[in-house]
Amino acid sequence: MRSFTFKMNIINFLENCVEKYPTKTALINEERNLTFQQLYQEVQNFSSCIEFLNKKNVISLIAENSTSFIIGYLGIINSGKIVHLISPEISELNLLNQIKSADSEAIICSNTAKKNLEYTSTQIPLFEFSDIKSKSALNVNNSKTNDLAYLTYTSGTTSEPKGVAISHAMIEFTTKNIVKELGYSNLDVDVLPLPMHHSFGLGCFHTSLYVGSTLVLLKNANNLEYVLESLKKYNATTLAAIPATLTKFLKFDRNVLENYFADIRLVITNSTLIPKNTVQDFKQILKKGHLATYYGLTEASRSTFMIFDKNNGHEESVGHTAPGVEIKIVNGNNNDEEIWIKGNNVIKKYWNNVKADKNLVDGWLQTGDIGYFDEEGYLFLKGRNDDIINVGGEKITPYEIEEVVKQIPGVDDVAAFGVDHEIFGQVVKLNVVKSKDSDLDKSKILTHCMKNLEKFKIPSKIDFVESLPKTDYGKVKRFMLK
Amino acid sequence: MIVAGVLSNDSEVEGIIKNIFLEVFPNLSEAEFSWNKEQKDYESWDSFTQLNLITFVESKFDIALSLEESIDIKSAHDLLKCVRSHLK
Repeated sequence: MRSFTFKMNIINFLENCVEKYPTKTALINEERNLTFQQLYQEVQNFSSCIEFLNKKNVISLIAENSTSFIIGYLGIINSGKIVHLISPEISELNLLNQIKSADSEAIICSNTAKKNLEYTSTQIPLFEFSDIKSKSALNVNNSKTNDLAYLTYTSGTTSEPKGVAISHAMIEFTTKNIVKELGYSNLDVDVLPLPMHHSFGLGCFHTSLYVGSTLVLLKNANNLEYVLESLKKYNATTLAAIPATLTKFLKFDRNVLENYFADIRLVITNSTLIPKNTVQDFKQILKKGHLATYYGLTEASRSTFMIFDKNNGHEESVGHTAPGVEIKIVNGNNNDEEIWIKGNNVIKKYWNNVKADKNLVDGWLQTGDIGYFDEEGYLFLKGRNDDIINVGGEKITPYEIEEVVKQIPGVDDVAAFGVDHEIFGQVVKLNVVKSKDSDLDKSKILTHCMKNLEKFKIPSKIDFVESLPKTDYGKVKRFMLK
Repeated sequence: MIVAGVLSNDSEVEGIIKNIFLEVFPNLSEAEFSWNKEQKDYESWDSFTQLNLITFVESKFDIALSLEESIDIKSAHDLLKCVRSHLK
């Protein structure tokens, strides 16, 4: 094993597991399962096979959740390169923009991803995993180091995506906090149906690797029954899922759900605000465990932690500030209360983006999120400052309207946003996704809003739509709403 | 005359508009409602209230009022007159 002059990186996490639990199952996946020793060997082989990619610092990776993805991810890092993570669902335009921005030398991808790229001229070489395996290994012990681990582009809910490069130091800091706050250990079996090209899923993987738990990597959460059955099949102790998945679970029979979750000690969720009802229901469903969430950004992962307890309220909070992190609320130009974050989990700069770097001031990240602390130090989010709707001088966050509208039977989903108005500057518009066979009409929505919202928050326009534009993680792409 | 999918006559239109006023002014009772009571005589008829009245009638009757029409509405009677002009 090699020694390092700086603190632990992800490969060190794996090396520690190989030392302590070489024959323990590290990864369970429909492609194939691996022990820690096997995983380490595969990673070393992969790094050796990509030695010929030696002109640039970045290699792009596009693959669905799979053992090959894990090997590719760790293998690129082990070779001293930065792995540029790309969603398999990416559009052609975004792909070309990201490749150019990342200055990547090549794309390594799965067979499925390659088929989707068939008609895309990426301008750089494209290799399937099988192509890499067929390359000769130039050097067996070729572990190299780089301060940066991976590059990803922000979800772009309010603007065009920005490149965010995450360092090993940030990963180590964040992972240690996750372990400390949420009690992960080598005894855990973690079911993970989240996309691995995003901070939430990737953070869960890093945690599993750090403590030496077994990771059950599912392709996605589309088949809810399969996710639930996996909990039992693999004797899972934790599950990571987005709030939308948890809310869908609630449609199952309560007794059935309680049985599936009987041995689960932790359900971790994130990415969008959790409906209060979902929190309350899961508090009851988890007999031996807790629902938890955190607040963070790609640029500042896991900045707070919240463990929902049966004995306390705060069901709409994202928790207390994480250890070693500072958060302050700053009044902005529009009297917004913007959240600023500082800590070892925060990036020092964006990737080749001087304009975005203006959001980083003396180590503080100006998040663009609006929030406040209550007297007990619990952080509450109110929305984004660039989502604020200004109706005749009255400031409104979309979230407060959406939460009210979501209470109406027949509403599956809703997005509130501002549209221009000659007199008021902006007025509120709703795009509403109706439940199938619902007889919901605009009048019912307006009547409900009149009873539950201040008059300046009443939507002036309502459209029924088939769906809302969203990121992989269920966040509404507000800049696409009209 | 068809209004938002519902067969309607003049008294139905009046009924809908009256109900809109009772919804938008939650403190207004049926007994206090008057077709000729003007904006200045309402305690809480501000610009947001005006906007909400317009939003409700547009939704209920599936019509679109112009900015000028919206500004001219100062009473329930004005609103009724405006709606009738759109339904003809």
